[in-house]
Amino acid sequence: MIEFVEKPFSDEESLSVLNKYVRNWFTSNFSELTPPQKFSFKLISEHKNVLITAPTGSGKTMSAFVSILNDLFNKSLSNKLGNKIYCLYISPLKALNNDVLRNLTRPLEGIYDIIKKDRGLDIIKENIKSVTIGVRTGDTDAKERRDQLIHPPNILVTTPESLAILLNSEKFLHNLDSLEYVVIDEIHELANNKRGAHLSLSIERLVNQLGRDVNRIGLSATLYPLEEAAKFLVGLKDGKPRQCYVVDASWSKKLEVKSISPVKDLLYTPPELVETAIYDEINNIIKKSKTTLIFTNTRSGTERVVFNLKRRFKYTDAEIGAHHSSLSKESRINIEESLKKGNLKCAVSSTSLELGVDIGDIDNVVQLGSPKSVTRAIQRIGRSGHSFREVAKGEIIVVNRDDLVECSIMLYAALKHHLDSFSIPLNSLDVLAQHIVGMAINRAWKVDEAYEVVRQAYPYSTLEKEDFISLINYLAGNYVGLESRHIYGKIWYDEEKQEFRKRGMYIKPIYMLNLGTIPDSVAISVYLKGTKEWIGNLEEGFLVRLKPGDIFTLGGKLYKFEYSKGMSCYVSKADSKTPTIPPWFSETLPLSYELAVEIGEFRRRFTEVIRPYIKYKKSKLQKILKGETLPKEADEVLSRLPINSYAKYAILGYFMEELLFIGEIPNDRLLLIESTSDELEGENYLIFHSLYGRRINDTLSRLAAMVLGGMMNEDIGTMVTDNGFILLTGSRVVSERLLDELMHNMVNADPYKVLSENIENTELMKRKFRQIAARSFMILRNYKGNKMSVLRQQINSNLILQALKEIDPNFPIIKETYREIFNDMMDLPRTKELLQKIKKGSVKYKMVETPSPSPFAHMMLTHAHSDVVMMKDRRDYLLHLHKLVMSRLYERKVI
Amino acid sequence: MKVTEDIELIDGLPIAYVRSLNSLAVADLHLGYEGVMAKRGILVPKANLKFIKKSIKSAVELTSAKNIIVDGDIKNDFSDVDVEEFNELFELIHFLKDLNLSITLIKGNHDNFVERYKEAFNLKVYRQETLIENYLFLHGEELPAEDKLQSSSTLIMGHEHPAISIYTEAGSKEKLKCFLYGKYDGKPILVLPAMSYFSGGTDINLVPKEELLSPLFKNIDVDSMEVYAIGYGSTVDFGTVEIIKKGTF
Repeated sequence: MIEFVEKPFSDEESLSVLNKYVRNWFTSNFSELTPPQKFSFKLISEHKNVLITAPTGSGKTMSAFVSILNDLFNKSLSNKLGNKIYCLYISPLKALNNDVLRNLTRPLEGIYDIIKKDRGLDIIKENIKSVTIGVRTGDTDAKERRDQLIHPPNILVTTPESLAILLNSEKFLHNLDSLEYVVIDEIHELANNKRGAHLSLSIERLVNQLGRDVNRIGLSATLYPLEEAAKFLVGLKDGKPRQCYVVDASWSKKLEVKSISPVKDLLYTPPELVETAIYDEINNIIKKSKTTLIFTNTRSGTERVVFNLKRRFKYTDAEIGAHHSSLSKESRINIEESLKKGNLKCAVSSTSLELGVDIGDIDNVVQLGSPKSVTRAIQRIGRSGHSFREVAKGEIIVVNRDDLVECSIMLYAALKHHLDSFSIPLNSLDVLAQHIVGMAINRAWKVDEAYEVVRQAYPYSTLEKEDFISLINYLAGNYVGLESRHIYGKIWYDEEKQEFRKRGMYIKPIYMLNLGTIPDSVAISVYLKGTKEWIGNLEEGFLVRLKPGDIFTLGGKLYKFEYSKGMSCYVSKADSKTPTIPPWFSETLPLSYELAVEIGEFRRRFTEVIRPYIKYKKSKLQKILKGETLPKEADEVLSRLPINSYAKYAILGYFMEELLFIGEIPNDRLLLIESTSDELEGENYLIFHSLYGRRINDTLSRLAAMVLGGMMNEDIGTMVTDNGFILLTGSRVVSERLLDELMHNMVNADPYKVLSENIENTELMKRKFRQIAARSFMILRNYKGNKMSVLRQQINSNLILQALKEIDPNFPIIKETYREIFNDMMDLPRTKELLQKIKKGSVKYKMVETPSPSPFAHMMLTHAHSDVVMMKDRRDYLLHLHKLVMSRLYERKVI
Repeated sequence: MKVTEDIELIDGLPIAYVRSLNSLAVADLHLGYEGVMAKRGILVPKANLKFIKKSIKSAVELTSAKNIIVDGDIKNDFSDVDVEEFNELFELIHFLKDLNLSITLIKGNHDNFVERYKEAFNLKVYRQETLIENYLFLHGEELPAEDKLQSSSTLIMGHEHPAISIYTEAGSKEKLKCFLYGKYDGKPILVLPAMSYFSGGTDINLVPKEELLSPLFKNIDVDSMEVYAIGYGSTVDFGTVEIIKKGTF
C-alpha cells in the first residue's frame, strides 16, 4: 500500500523520538525542523518505508538520517553496535557520495562529542563507540576496500554498480547481515533509466539473501507520479506493493518565475540587438543578485554565454565560470568550491549543476531557451533560494516565438504544480540477464524461486515467465549445439529439475568486470567522402539520427551525410542547402508529452478567445499584429501567465497571424496537416502540426513516412521537431484524398510491425543492439584483461545480430533492442493511444493547403539552422517565410 | 543467370558454375570463424557451416556438378588450425565427398595449414592459383603469374568479398553480396563473393578503388564492371558499378 502523509507531526513529537544526545545536537545546530523533517523523524523512527520529495535546501539528507543516526547511537549506548553495516546509502553520483560523507561526518562527531561530555570515562568503561561511516565506489582503492572488509563502517555510502559487485563478494556479504536501512538518494535520476532497473533488482536480491525486509528510504527532487516512484522504491511482496509512506514536501519552497521576451518583436529585431537585449537582461540579474546560476541547453551554449558575459561586461575568471560535463573533473570541482564559498558571481552550466551536489547559496537562476520539461524547469530553478524559507527565483529568457509560448505555459504549469511524468523502463531483458548470472554465481536456484525474486522489483513486476525462461535458455547457451555450450554458456540450466547455477570458474570475473548499464560510447570521426580529410567529430547519438542525404552543420559548414562505417562517417559538401537535422538534436532533451499537451490545450482555449478578432477592421488587426494593442479578453488570459509585457503582445501577434493565414490553430484535439511548398528549394512539404512531444513525433513521423512511402512507392524523407514533423514529398503534392487514405492506413496499421521494418537495417538498430549485446554479456567489453574497443564491439555485434536473426528473430537480446527503441527512445505506447483517438474521432485531423508555410510551421522548417554560426542565415530564411505570409494576407485583403 | 555461355551463377547463392568443367566455384568460406571469435569473448552464434552446406547442396542438386573449386580462405584464422576449425573443416570435406564432389583448393592467405591434410583427404591443393583447362582460378591476393595468365582465357578469383550497399530514404542500409564481371588485361575476370555467412563484404559502390584489397584491381576498370547482386533468394544484374554509384542515394 502506498499512503500519502498529509499532516506533519508537531516538532515536540518529532524530537521526542530522539535520544537526549541526538536531540541536543539537533536543537543546538538547527533552529527548527524543515518541512520534510516534520514528517520523516517520526516515520523513520517507527521503521516505516518512506519516500521523501523536497526541494534543495530543505534538509533532505538530514530528514532521512537523523532518525537513523539516533537508532545507531542508541545501539552504541546499549553496547549493541556491532562491527557491521546497518545502513546503505546509494546515490547515482560519486560526487554526491563524497558530499554526503562530509555532511554526515560532522553530525557523527558532534553527537559523539556530546555523549563524551556527558558520560566522561563511561565511554571507555562501557565501550560506547562512535558510529562510523565510509564510502565505497569505483574510485575506492584496494587498501581501503580491504579495511572495509575487516572493519566495515556502520553506514556505507555507495553507488548502484558498487552495490551490485558487493552482492557477489562472498567475503564481504556477511558484513551486511545486520543491515536495517537502505537510503536511495536522487531517485528521479535512477527511476527513469536502466540504472534504476538494475538497482531495483540488486535490492531485491539483497533482501532475498538477508531473508528479511529492510527499511527503505527514498529521497528525490520534484517528480511525478509519486506512487510510481514509491513502488519503485519499495518493490512488491506477494504481488502487492510493500507499504510505503509518501512525504511530498516538493512545494514547500515558494516559486517566483517568469518567462521573458528580451525584445518586443522577436522576429524583426536584428539579431545583434536581440543578443544585446538578452545579455543586458542577464547582466541586470547578475548585478542585483549575490550569486546567479545560468543554465543553457547545450555545452557549446555554456561556453558562448561565459565568453560573451566576459567580453561585454568585463567579468573576470574569478567572477564567472562554466561547468559542464566536457570539462575536466578538476575545473568542475573548482567551480563547485567557489560557488560554495560564495566567491563566484555567476556560474553557467548545461545540465551538470542540475543535480544535488551542494553548491551553496544561489539567489537567482536564469534559463536561456526552453528546458523542454516542467519538471526540469522546477529542478533547475529550485537550485536557487538555499533555505526552504527563501523563494526559488528563476527567469527563462526565450529566443523565438515557439520558445516563448512553450516556456510561458511551462512556468504556468509549474505554478499549478502540474509536472511531466517520468517512466520506468519495464522488463528490460539485458539488465535482467546480468542479474541472472549474478544470482547463479551466488548459488543454485529453482527457476520459480528466482522468477519470484525478480518480480518483487517493481520494474519487473509484470515480467512474463516466457521471457524469463528465454533469458535462462540464452544464458545457458542453448542457442548453439551441445558441443559449444562450454564456451557460450554462462549458467547451467537443468530443464528437468527446473534449476540453474553458475557454469565454469571464469564467469565470476567476467561478471564483475562487465556489469553495469552505462554503455561505452565514442566520438565518430567525420571524413569528406573519397578523401582522407578529417572534418570533425560527431556524437554517436547524433549519428544514429542521420539518414543518407540528411544535411547537418559541423564546425559552421554544411555537409550531406553519405554513409557510415564502423566509427567513421563519410560526408560530402552541401553548399546552400537547408539542414534537415539541427546539430544539437541528440544533446537537447525532447519536449515532454505532458507539456506539449498542455500547450495544445492553451492553444485551443486561447483560439476561442481571439477568434472574434478576425472580424476586426484591418487597421485594428494591423495594430494587433504589430504589437501595438492588446484587446481586453486576450490580455486577461495572457495576464494569468507568468510573462513580461513584451511576451503578451508577441504571443497574441503570433497566434493572430496563424489564425488569419489558415483560419485555424492546431491544438490538442485538432491535428492540423498542412500541404505546402517552399519556393526557395522547390520542395513539397506535408507538415503535421502534432504537438504531443518529440518522442511521439519521432514515432509518428516514421510511421507516416513508411505508410505514405508504401502508397506512393517512393522513399519519403522526414524532419522531426518538438512542435510537429514534416514529410518531404519531393515534387509531389499530396492531395486531400491521398491524405485521407494515408490517415486511414496509419490508424489501421500495426505500428510495431511497420516500425520494426523501418528500423531493422538502420544504424540506430545496430548501435542500440551493440549496447544491449554488451549489457547482456553477449559481447564482453572486458575479457581476460583486455578491453574491447567500441569499434570492435560494433563490428562484432553486427555479426551477432545477423546470425541471431537467422536463429530466432525473437531472441531476447533482439526483443530488448526493439523494446528500448520503441519504449525508451521513441514512445510507441502513447503513439498508439493517439492513433486510437484519431480513429475514434476524439482527436480530429484536418488538411489545409497553403501557398507558403504558415507561421507555426516556420520554426519547424528553420529549426535545423539554429546553430550559432548559422544564426544569420536561419533568420533570413525565417524572415523570408514571414514576409510571404504577410504579403499573402495583404493580397487576400485580410489586413 | 548466365554470365557467359560457359559460366552460370546459381540463383540467390554466392556460387558460380562452370559448365565445361562441370564444377562449382566458391571462395572465402572462413570456417571456424565463430570459434575464433568466442575465444575473444564475442559469442557469435554458429551459422556459417550450416549456411555453406545448405547452399552447396542446393547448387549440386541444380547442376549435378562433380567438382568444386575453392578460391582460397577456406578457414578463418591466420594461425594454426585449432580443434573447432578442424572439426568444421572435417565436417565440410566429408559433406562434399558425400555429395560425390572432387575437391580442388587454392591456398589463400588464411590457409597455411591445409597442405598437411591433403593426403588424408585426397585433396588437390595449389598455392595462390591454378590453371584448369583455359580457366585461371586464383585467390586474388597476389598478381597472377605471367605464364599462367598468358595460357588462360578467363580468370576467376576470390579474396575481395565484393558487395554493394544501397540506402533507402528511411535510413535503412541494404547490403548485398555480389559477383563482379569485367576485364583484366583484356581477359574476362569473374570476382566471386565471399561464401562466409558472416562476411558483409567490401562495398564496391562506396569504397574508393585505391582501398580495394586485391592488387589485381589496379589493372581493372572497376567502374565498368558488371554487378550481379545476390539477395532474397535471387541473383539480379544491377548494371555496372558506375551506374550503381550514381543511384546509391
